[in-house]
Amino acid sequence: MRIFRILFFKELKTYFLTPFGWLIMAFAALMQGFVLSTTLEAFENESQNESLVHVTFNSPLFWFYFLILFPVLTMRLFSEESRSGTLEGLLTAPVRTWQVVLSKYFAAYVCFVILWIPVFIHFKLFTIITDIPPPFAPGELYGAMTIIMLMGALFTAFGCLASVMTSSQIIAGVVCIGILLVHFFLGLVTEQYGDTIAAAPVFNFVSCQNHLQAFSRGLLDTRPFAYYLATTSFVLLLTHHLLDFRRWKP
Amino acid sequence: MIEIADLSKRYGRHLAVDKISFEVARGEIVGFLGPNGAGKTTTLRMLTGFLPPTSGAARIAGHDIFRESLEVRKRIGYMPENVPLYTEMRVKEYLRFRGGLRGMGGSHLRKRLGEVLDLCGLTDVRRKMIKTLSKGYRQRVGLADALIHEPDLLILDEPTNGLDPNQIRAIRRLIQNLGEKHTILLSTHILSEVEMTCNKVVIIDGGRIKAADTPENLVNSMRRAGRITVELQAPISIAEPLLNSIDVVTKVNSQSLQDGWNRFTVFVAPNTDTRLKLSNLAIENRWPLRALSRGTGTLEEVFVELTRKD
Repeated sequence: MRIFRILFFKELKTYFLTPFGWLIMAFAALMQGFVLSTTLEAFENESQNESLVHVTFNSPLFWFYFLILFPVLTMRLFSEESRSGTLEGLLTAPVRTWQVVLSKYFAAYVCFVILWIPVFIHFKLFTIITDIPPPFAPGELYGAMTIIMLMGALFTAFGCLASVMTSSQIIAGVVCIGILLVHFFLGLVTEQYGDTIAAAPVFNFVSCQNHLQAFSRGLLDTRPFAYYLATTSFVLLLTHHLLDFRRWKP
Repeated sequence: MIEIADLSKRYGRHLAVDKISFEVARGEIVGFLGPNGAGKTTTLRMLTGFLPPTSGAARIAGHDIFRESLEVRKRIGYMPENVPLYTEMRVKEYLRFRGGLRGMGGSHLRKRLGEVLDLCGLTDVRRKMIKTLSKGYRQRVGLADALIHEPDLLILDEPTNGLDPNQIRAIRRLIQNLGEKHTILLSTHILSEVEMTCNKVVIIDGGRIKAADTPENLVNSMRRAGRITVELQAPISIAEPLLNSIDVVTKVNSQSLQDGWNRFTVFVAPNTDTRLKLSNLAIENRWPLRALSRGTGTLEEVFVELTRKD
């Protein structure tokens, strides 16, 4: 556990003691503010059927920046170490492979969680500045945040998997965004082909758009919890085995 | 300390290391020599657990490198080729991190940090970022990293690669001092370095071990060392059979020189010295003798002889 802690804080430091982490945070805060202000503008122009939280998180703009965060956060993790050769020093120290994988994963995930603090502030500020009751229920905000944290867990794991596969950051980033887009479009299949096709329940089950819609209405569903947590564990297991492969491949 | 038995490594079709076996005893400084691409780095990577062997086995301090990798890794200090470091970290911070990974902490780590910074001459740059350091300093940081947990065995992959002569001397002196307490396996292709620091040499080429011995024995056993040149004023027809009759002589070449002297090149078995017998022979027969010399080899010649492609 001590070694995990040392590795974890070393990773976290590389996010926040370099301009890198702060640039991502600035980008995220900027995009979050931009999405919120365009949503507010839409509220000003015409009446909306859904709450402010729901409309904010279900706009295409949200997905645009949300999906970009993961390759940026994770592409460096393993590929940079294998390119510069520091992986050799790391893996010949008495550390276990799972300690390396989990420390990098959780450092990226913690960084991702920190990115969402501005959103909380934005929605709190709304009430403070306008002095009118917020056009959303607290449960909707907490629900949306919950599903974003769950999706983040899986998508960060996808990023780790992409990064461990190559020693080029660019390729890692491209592979990561590729996996995320495929996952994203799986959720849109039923919109294209309708709910009557045989595999519709499967597509609906993995649809992150559906999950986000339900959660940002404040509807907590345990199925996405199971889906995201189980898939995250599986992807991390794959990442572990890919990294460990060099130790036992003939 | 290290026991290697039939260790092989295959990369696809290419056999990088072919059934090598050798042993390193505790306290030895062993030079691991070979031309580029001979399989040195691959062997060292297998020993450190970074790459698995295709077949064969090796034990370090009694632990199998494959099954008890973690135990092995606790006991070695490894400095990889080209010394990869986290360049955005500061020297002391990096060494503290690496010490932590080896399970060190508290006052013990603090004390060791001071010691290795001092030993490797890094005290002045301990607060600098590694990316601002010169190659020589980075090499020393790598060495300090390998040393911090006082490992039983130090494995250094080309420790003086890319350094200037002064830095090479400093590193060499450091390795000699370390040899008093640690077992060291260092790979290099700078031969003078091995002659000066190592008490055993393993020469590898094309994935196979060509020789494993002390530098002195290697030099004495090479072909040139078995060749003695004598210049006598003696008729070739008489002297040649007499020279040939000495038991260790394998072959004699004769050549008459312009000034009435004859030169005999006497080939003898390696690891023998026949010069005294030859001078006695000249005295007994009352032949004037003006030159008697044995070919002296250097480790460089041994290396070339063993690894030459022709």
